Amino acid sequence: MKLYDYILSPSCYKVRLMAALSGVSLDIRPVDFHPGLEHRGPELLALNPAGSIPILQDGDLILTESSAILVYLAAKAGPEWLASDKPEEAARVQQWLSFSGRLTASLGGARLHEMLLRPGDIDALQRQGVAALRELELGLVEQAERGMRFLAADRPTVADIACFPYVALAPDGGVSLDAYPAIRLWSRRLRSLDRFIEMPGVHRLHELKAEPTVEESKV
Amino acid sequence: MSMQAMIDEWYPVGIAAQLDTAGRNTLLMGEPIVVATDADGQAKVTGGNGRTLPVRIRYGHVWTSLGEPKKEVFPIPEADQPGRRYVDVGVVRVRCSPLRAVENFLDIAHFPFVHTDILGAEPHTEVQSYKVEIREDVDEVWATQVKFYQPQAAKSASGGITTEYMYRVPAPTCSVLYKTCPPRPSEWDVITLFVQPLTEELCDVWPWMALFDDDTPMTDLIHFQQTIFLQDRSILENQIPRLLPLDPGMEIPTRADLTSVAYRRWLKRHNYTYGAQLVAQ
Amino acid sequence: MHSDTTGSWTPVALSADLPAGTVIPARISAGSIALWRSESGRLSASADRCPHRGMSLSHGFVRGEALSCIYHGWSYAQGGNCIRIPAHPGLTPPETIRARTFAVEEAGGVIWVAADETETKPPVLEGLTPLRSMTTDAGISAIETAAGTKASAEGLIEPAGGTLCLLVSARNDGQTLIHVLLKGETSPADRIAASREAESLRRAAEDLQKKGIAS
Repeated sequence: MKLYDYILSPSCYKVRLMAALSGVSLDIRPVDFHPGLEHRGPELLALNPAGSIPILQDGDLILTESSAILVYLAAKAGPEWLASDKPEEAARVQQWLSFSGRLTASLGGARLHEMLLRPGDIDALQRQGVAALRELELGLVEQAERGMRFLAADRPTVADIACFPYVALAPDGGVSLDAYPAIRLWSRRLRSLDRFIEMPGVHRLHELKAEPTVEESKV
Repeated sequence: MSMQAMIDEWYPVGIAAQLDTAGRNTLLMGEPIVVATDADGQAKVTGGNGRTLPVRIRYGHVWTSLGEPKKEVFPIPEADQPGRRYVDVGVVRVRCSPLRAVENFLDIAHFPFVHTDILGAEPHTEVQSYKVEIREDVDEVWATQVKFYQPQAAKSASGGITTEYMYRVPAPTCSVLYKTCPPRPSEWDVITLFVQPLTEELCDVWPWMALFDDDTPMTDLIHFQQTIFLQDRSILENQIPRLLPLDPGMEIPTRADLTSVAYRRWLKRHNYTYGAQLVAQ
Repeated sequence: MHSDTTGSWTPVALSADLPAGTVIPARISAGSIALWRSESGRLSASADRCPHRGMSLSHGFVRGEALSCIYHGWSYAQGGNCIRIPAHPGLTPPETIRARTFAVEEAGGVIWVAADETETKPPVLEGLTPLRSMTTDAGISAIETAAGTKASAEGLIEPAGGTLCLLVSARNDGQTLIHVLLKGETSPADRIAASREAESLRRAAEDLQKKGIAS
């Protein structure tokens, strides 16, 4: 499976993260998104006329929507990341997969503007980002009342992976996460998962490893 | 804050290869400027009142100044060695003082915590003694014999090595790092941080590299450096105050911070204080 | 904050939002703080600034009984004194390296921090169970107008005829922190409804604030 990837793209990170968590190994093809704008070049437009990344290629299957890629990886290697056959759970997974598109548009747009100087109405993007974070916070509060620690179930699903990256990187776009305790707890749960990987801007949870003693540090 | 001393310096304001006639509207020390190409395809920088600013093309970037530079853009002799590959890493905006961005670049003690498993990893946190001086003949800050254990020192590195660094500060918002070059042990890789001060608390950072590495694809080299810088960005945006404090009582250095101590002293000596806080508030 | 009865105490967070081994950002009148709970459960509040390079300590991490800065790993004990500088593993940090700390009290699921030295205790809120915290761009008077009732001396706003009770404190960044508390026994369905009701109140208060109706 070949992933056309940009290391700083939260959407590409979703795919790398899902692959790491479900044990899929990806053939990474780095794309010079910035400063080279390679995703708008002829080779990549031939694969994805929309000019966006990630692009996942597996044989003659080409996927260009990150939510679809997550579902594909999970179906192949980690079915426990998909919704069960409970109607409510299946619907909640779809609900948050769709919602994740709004995170990309708002928080992702603000981040591109503030960090890589892409054009955009920054006030509107940040305002929409805050509105989306409030929705997510409310959703997580309600899930907690239902005894569920994640967006669609009491276990993480593709819905959590679809929402996590743009939320975790909201501060890159000048949107603070300080006001969302439920999001903070949820984010920590995801970052503590076995085989979790970071991307630039998401720091390692150093506390997950014991503090090395002075003797050891003289090695 | 005093702008005068820093106004005669050169600053990076764009990637030379990416200029077009439409131009890049940006800021330099609070003044709106336009960086574009003229009818002949030459780089042109226009200041706020329509005046034409001086222009140099060096190290892949366009340089300009709001004042009257007394010197040319600082030399990097190694960058002109044949066989090097030049990497335009691309601009990244950071909400911090341009001086804080440079100081972070001079720091190695943060590697295990911020660049975990790439430039550093616990328990290898110790910073051994190194040499720091202000070289009076060239008026630059230099740190040499800086050594640190790195799990993956460069894109071309295949395992952990103890890397040796030399740091140079040839201009108030620019630094040059010379680093062990895995494919050519007798040479140094050149990694720079060129910082464009937009305001005292906002900067555009233009990392650039001149490497001996014929194998790694260009995009991988760009992504490696962007990864490192983006890990730093979230630190830089969360330091308080945003301005770099030059009041010695405001922050506590240790032996590991001698480069930063010399940098702050050098800034103060030259009155390079755009982006600095002189008195604790 | 209604300083006449709560003294310098500010309700900064709910206990449930700060599990053992974590740190969160919070605000009091003295500025931003890093609020953290050690692995053994001890609560601490320190100024949100590492004395080394000014990095926000609430971005750091809690290992054992110490809070560490994410930038260079400098570690601080509950009393604010620096106990470890990883760049110099053999060095015992001098006593002079310390982050300012503040008194913390936890009662009824609410964490309070005092901005100044104080002999007082934070108010006791009887019969209330915390649900969630939220912030709003609206000021306290806009929230009072939206709720149709005034805040008590302790900062409690109780809209008539429900289980909802809002513990409000004004912050110096213009925002208001609201802890949503519930009266009496409630089921999960009640709590979900109350959470939505609190969101509606926030929306109404923010509308009022925007229109400049609240003064």
